[in-house]
Amino acid sequence: MKKKTKFKRRDLMSWLVMLPSVILFAFYVWEPLLENVRLSLYSTIRYQTIDFVGLANYSRVLKVPDFMAAFKNTFSYTFWSLLIGFFVPMIMAVLISETVHLKSFFRVGVYFPNIVPGLATIWIWNYFFTPGPTGVLNILLGKIGIAPQVWLNDSRWTIPLIVITMTWKAAGSTALIYMASISGISADLYEAATIDGATIWQRIKNITLPSITGLARTLLILQVISVFQILYEPMVLKNGGPNNASISLMMLVYRFAFRDSDFSGAAAMSVMICIILILLSGLYMKLTRKKEEY
Amino acid sequence: MFFKKYYDKRDGAIRGYDMHSRSSRVLSVLIMLMCVVMVMIALFPIVWVFLAAFKDIKDFNTNVSLLPSHFDFAGVAKTWGQLKFSKFYVNSIILVVGSVFCAILFNGLLAYGLAVLKPKGYKVIQALVMWSLLIPSTASIVALFRNINMLGMSRSFLPLWLAYGANAFWVVLFKEFFEELPTELLEAARLDGCGTLQVFLKMVLPLSKPIIMVVAIFAVTTSWSDFLLPYLVLNGSGKETVMVKLFSFKDTPTNAVAMLRAVMFSIIPPTILFVLFQKQITDGAAAGAVKG
Repeated sequence: MKKKTKFKRRDLMSWLVMLPSVILFAFYVWEPLLENVRLSLYSTIRYQTIDFVGLANYSRVLKVPDFMAAFKNTFSYTFWSLLIGFFVPMIMAVLISETVHLKSFFRVGVYFPNIVPGLATIWIWNYFFTPGPTGVLNILLGKIGIAPQVWLNDSRWTIPLIVITMTWKAAGSTALIYMASISGISADLYEAATIDGATIWQRIKNITLPSITGLARTLLILQVISVFQILYEPMVLKNGGPNNASISLMMLVYRFAFRDSDFSGAAAMSVMICIILILLSGLYMKLTRKKEEY
Repeated sequence: MFFKKYYDKRDGAIRGYDMHSRSSRVLSVLIMLMCVVMVMIALFPIVWVFLAAFKDIKDFNTNVSLLPSHFDFAGVAKTWGQLKFSKFYVNSIILVVGSVFCAILFNGLLAYGLAVLKPKGYKVIQALVMWSLLIPSTASIVALFRNINMLGMSRSFLPLWLAYGANAFWVVLFKEFFEELPTELLEAARLDGCGTLQVFLKMVLPLSKPIIMVVAIFAVTTSWSDFLLPYLVLNGSGKETVMVKLFSFKDTPTNAVAMLRAVMFSIIPPTILFVLFQKQITDGAAAGAVKG
């Protein structure tokens, strides 16, 4: 009996030590998530909730004129970031893994953009994408005799170019994760393959790439989750333009909440983003699991 | 000579014995050249900022060469004064110091509970923390901002500092490290009469310097770069940080050169930090320590 109470006291002490951190997690991560759902079901005036209105906020935000554009663009961001942002770090990692000279310089060099603050990155690329003769990319193109481009102002290119700036910043850190995984591949595998007559390309294709696919799957889903919430890049660069070509769902959330003080609308929009992400993650997991069964 | 070094290569598909063949040698050189190009693409925009920021406005608009025709140090100093960057630097440093402290203390304590203490029911918290890794973070900013305001904590650094005490990635990082600590040692300290908290402060933390270093560095770079919550909480309070200032340029643009210089000012501290701690930072990143 005595022993039991002693254990209880120790548990209590442990919980007391963890309590402040648990409260912080509750306040910053868990509660806002639930609070969002609650807010989305009420009408609000600034911070105050007024009446329970059911799903009215949802149908209201779905009718906002910019919604369809934002919805379509957000998927477009995801598509382009998978096309560009997903493969670039993998290629970088494979290439750097195959060097012996200057290897640590390459590692550090490609990671450098990652420590540049996100906002600074956006402003820097804004100078690069300036249309007309003062834009940095236009100056560079001019040196090889190509006429100045309008870059972000061409609505077909706005999203892919924004994805390129994001890839420029983030690819290095993802590449380092792949490199750590590649350096853990057993040398015996490569040697056995060489004895069987495999060329270097065959070794990369049949040994290196298959051994990082598991990691790639995890990184893919994390990337989709983060790109789906794209906010400040299009907001700062073009404020969603030209002509709504780069507006995203999170930008709508931001406008509802911080421009119009419409917190219930913003919450409804946030909840919808979460639901889409949960559906996407679930679908993705189901698809990849099925593949493994074959 | 050049290809001899490939015999020491321990990872990847290309091995020393490939160097007998001419085509493999060519391929190795090509791969290296591609890596050089990649690093150039990675570094060029940063180098460009540090050079173009020293052009004066006329030079910036007319001179297309990378180098400024003369380095306008006086102009840069003037921009620093006009934009009141000393103030923003001080505010940013206040934000960073408090954030790093909270990041180490609170995430460390929670990880200590989950990895070492393991009180009854700890698995619930562990599961919740793991789930938090996947929770879309920006999507909850609306409710969070509302809560901060309702508690009357806006216009203060406190809610921003404490935000760094709830980072699931860092908890996992600490947790993995603490799990490797010798349990007998911690148990012995406890039998000697050290309280739960004392064991953490006197035993766990001193033994965990490497991981504290990694989390501290990442907390410095993320809190320095953070702007969304700082903007919402601090804008108009006189406590604006460097990034809040950069963010406000989207509504109140200034001339191209002044803005470029502001961008340069905002890059200098993380650059210095990166040059000093490049090994810890790249190793930590390789461990999957930081995303975004």
